[in-house]
Amino acid sequence: MTSPRERILASIRDGLLRAHLPADADGPPRHAAGESAAPTVADMPDQFSAALTALSGHVHRASGAAGVADVIAGIARAHQAASCISWDDEHLGCAGLLGVLSSRGLARVTYDVSGEPGQRAVDVDALAGVGLGLTGAHAALAETGGLVLVSGPGRGRLASLLPPVHVAVVAERRLRPSLSALLREEPDLLDAGSNVVIVAGPSRTADIEMTLTHGVHGPKHLHVILTA
Amino acid sequence: MTPRPARVQFFATCLVDQFFPAAGHAAVEVLERCGIEVHVPPDQTCCGQPAFNAGFAEDAAAMARATIDALSRSTDPVVVPSGSCADMIINHYPELLAGDAAYGPKAKALAARTYELSQFLVDVLGVDLPAATAGPSLAYHASCHGLRGLGLREQPRRLLRAVAGDRVADLPDAETCCGFGGLFAIKMGPVSSAMLESKLDAIERSGADVVVATDVSCLMHIGGGLHRRGSRVRARHIAEVLAGPNHD
Amino acid sequence: MTDAALAFHRRIDTALADAGLRRALTLTTGRLASGRTGAFGGLADAEACRQEARLARASAVARLDSYLDRFASAAAARGSTVHWAETAADARRIITGIANDRGIRLAVKSKSMATEEVELNEALEHAGVRVVETDLGEFVVQLGGDRPSHIITPIIHLTRQDVAALFREKLGAAPEEVADIPAMTALARRVLRAEFLRAGMGISGVNLAVAETGSICVVTNEGNGRLTTTLPRVHVALLGLERIVPTAADLASVLTVLARSATGQASSVYTNVITGPRRRGGGRGGPEAGDPDGPEELHIVILDNGRSRLLGTPLSEILYCVRCGACLNVCPVYRLIGGHAYGGVYPGPVGSVVMPGLHGVEGWSELAHASSLCGACRDACPVKIDLPHLLLAVRREAAARQLAPLWIRAAMPVYAAVVTRPWLYRWVGRAAARLARVVQHEGWIRRLPGPLGAWTASRDFPIPAARSFVEEHQARKAAAR
Repeated sequence: MTSPRERILASIRDGLLRAHLPADADGPPRHAAGESAAPTVADMPDQFSAALTALSGHVHRASGAAGVADVIAGIARAHQAASCISWDDEHLGCAGLLGVLSSRGLARVTYDVSGEPGQRAVDVDALAGVGLGLTGAHAALAETGGLVLVSGPGRGRLASLLPPVHVAVVAERRLRPSLSALLREEPDLLDAGSNVVIVAGPSRTADIEMTLTHGVHGPKHLHVILTA
Repeated sequence: MTPRPARVQFFATCLVDQFFPAAGHAAVEVLERCGIEVHVPPDQTCCGQPAFNAGFAEDAAAMARATIDALSRSTDPVVVPSGSCADMIINHYPELLAGDAAYGPKAKALAARTYELSQFLVDVLGVDLPAATAGPSLAYHASCHGLRGLGLREQPRRLLRAVAGDRVADLPDAETCCGFGGLFAIKMGPVSSAMLESKLDAIERSGADVVVATDVSCLMHIGGGLHRRGSRVRARHIAEVLAGPNHD
Repeated sequence: MTDAALAFHRRIDTALADAGLRRALTLTTGRLASGRTGAFGGLADAEACRQEARLARASAVARLDSYLDRFASAAAARGSTVHWAETAADARRIITGIANDRGIRLAVKSKSMATEEVELNEALEHAGVRVVETDLGEFVVQLGGDRPSHIITPIIHLTRQDVAALFREKLGAAPEEVADIPAMTALARRVLRAEFLRAGMGISGVNLAVAETGSICVVTNEGNGRLTTTLPRVHVALLGLERIVPTAADLASVLTVLARSATGQASSVYTNVITGPRRRGGGRGGPEAGDPDGPEELHIVILDNGRSRLLGTPLSEILYCVRCGACLNVCPVYRLIGGHAYGGVYPGPVGSVVMPGLHGVEGWSELAHASSLCGACRDACPVKIDLPHLLLAVRREAAARQLAPLWIRAAMPVYAAVVTRPWLYRWVGRAAARLARVVQHEGWIRRLPGPLGAWTASRDFPIPAARSFVEEHQARKAAAR
């Protein structure tokens, strides 16, 4: 008695025997086509900045916990955010940041969604009113203004997803030209976490009459703080 | 660049032969003026594209063999005043007859020496045409099969600019299909008519006196629509424009 | 003509008469198409990018059994549960089973053509699971009991007033909540956020699967793809078995062209790569060392539903498709009639190949005739699928099954017989010219008989020349001698 898997694979093999696949599509794929216009290291912060700004994201420069906290506190005030969901301090790339933020009145809300469905709903509900999400980033992509966020312990997905404002702290040396370039450097990146997401700007849609609006489901405001 | 031939065979195409012979005569004249001897094989008929496009491969293959025979008594290059028919011979005859031991190789050989008219003039002859003269304003419609099947993006435009200077411009949406599509015009009549309307509106917007293209199939459809609208705009094949004022 | 073909032509007539639809289609497809052109213009070597994306897809399809099996093993090794659905019914059964077994009563969905193809929502509703579409356009479609009209932008056939009326009627929205598009968007966000927070299951499609790591990539601009695959405890992903690439680098190659082709963006806002469910802690790090969030279970349902059979036909190249919608946006026919007219889940040039390919030529071949073979679709396709070639293959299959209209089936052999006999061709030409002189009016024919009357409905038909080119040319040459 064959399984669905065996039957499907057999059907595919059978199909391949008769398939009319174009000849030009032979050969192992190469992975360099987008690279000919790669930016220099010096250009990447500006290129990243321009790309993200064009997508209605905001780019700031700051350094040190105090400097970064200043920017974040300002953003929180502007959006009336009194609390935040955050990655752990060690993954923000700015030692002591959470402590400084707390002293500036931005409290971190922790959560645990591993429980049974009922409990999970309660905990998630508690996050509903949090105004700001704070993350670091594994890398930033100059070509598209994208942030590469890898999930893991101390690096939850919800921080960059639930609150209406997302702030990401990224060291300039984590800039890369493109996803292809990053993958050449880190071919096992996709295995680094259950979720690797590239975030390029705030949430958007143009479903109604092709009119662009932001903040449909994901954050409406995206701020990236580039640190030296 | 292919070496300059002394002689070519001219495959008029059935629409030129039966409905628009002036385009054929103009094309021959232009070629002869370039110093090319033009031979017109007398048993040429139709390339069979309508059958091929309708999915009737056997009928199309029969017509392809007949056309190959007519054009293979000599190995001279073949010049075709139609992007779609040239596309048929160049891109589709070989695949249509791939399983035919006798005609498969003949189809490939014919495809290798067949050219659409403007392609031949520019790419093979590298021709210089007489400079711009006075005349009607021209709007260029880029026929689809020549444009996308044969890559005829530059050649017709170059020829027209040489002859007509700033009297010629692209139609608005020049590269949008006019809606002829062969049997499509009949099977999908309402859609074809709507596409035609857009093309006719563009022609009107252009203000040109003459709409010019490389394919009389497009021109038959566009011209038929222009006449129905009572428009004074004329539809002309590129050969007629290149041949000079007598043909405008 | 078959009933299906007749119904198609009736839907076309309805669409052509809809001026509002025409305006919306012109606006949307125009913007998406020019966005695509601009975005590709920004690439240093656009052709190389297309070729690379094509190779990424082609290399996977060429050894699909091997890569699919590798994908399934890799996914299972990383904690995903892999299911194999041979038919649409199997997919429905598997997914409703997952829901029922866990007592799940509410599912949120991010946009997936495959789930529409298998008619999943109805099956879930029948099984006691409420399904909420979360892509804004699909949410509106669901509220209205409507169907999407475009692969990427589902409600181009609706105005803002249409959406406002729907929100007022179905959501009880107050006037200020539907006053403008930002307000409606904010309302949708609020309504749907509540659903996301309560749903026991998130259902998504898969834009691309990566064989080497068993990863699935879900791409959205709104973020509903992330919420759907993060908040609920159970994530179910429906994967068409051909939507696979070998490696992460191949994924990047396709991503380079995907958003550019679909919407003209260099990158979609959220490119979400999922490799297994939430990683648990344990071991030396203790339970706290796992992921703080993410679904507890990830179920990947691999869907065949005719794809493996399609692989063995002349249409196999269509399996490279990444569902970007670029072919729709440049198709002069789609731009006139919109998606609903095609009558199936997949419209436009790609639909005209996929529908007959998956569901049979009998019911769907007429779609492949709704094309002038202009080739704009081939030029727009990010993986360079030769769509006109595939449309012709469908037409050949239809002709072989005697599906062409009777008058065409009768006329073809006559046409071929005439054309392959030059003497007969000349005779018919002369006879036609003589006949035309009788029925012509000022050098044109105003009414053609029978089916040919479709021509003269909107155009005049030229009369054959008094003397054909070949005959005239021969006469001139003879006179010159």
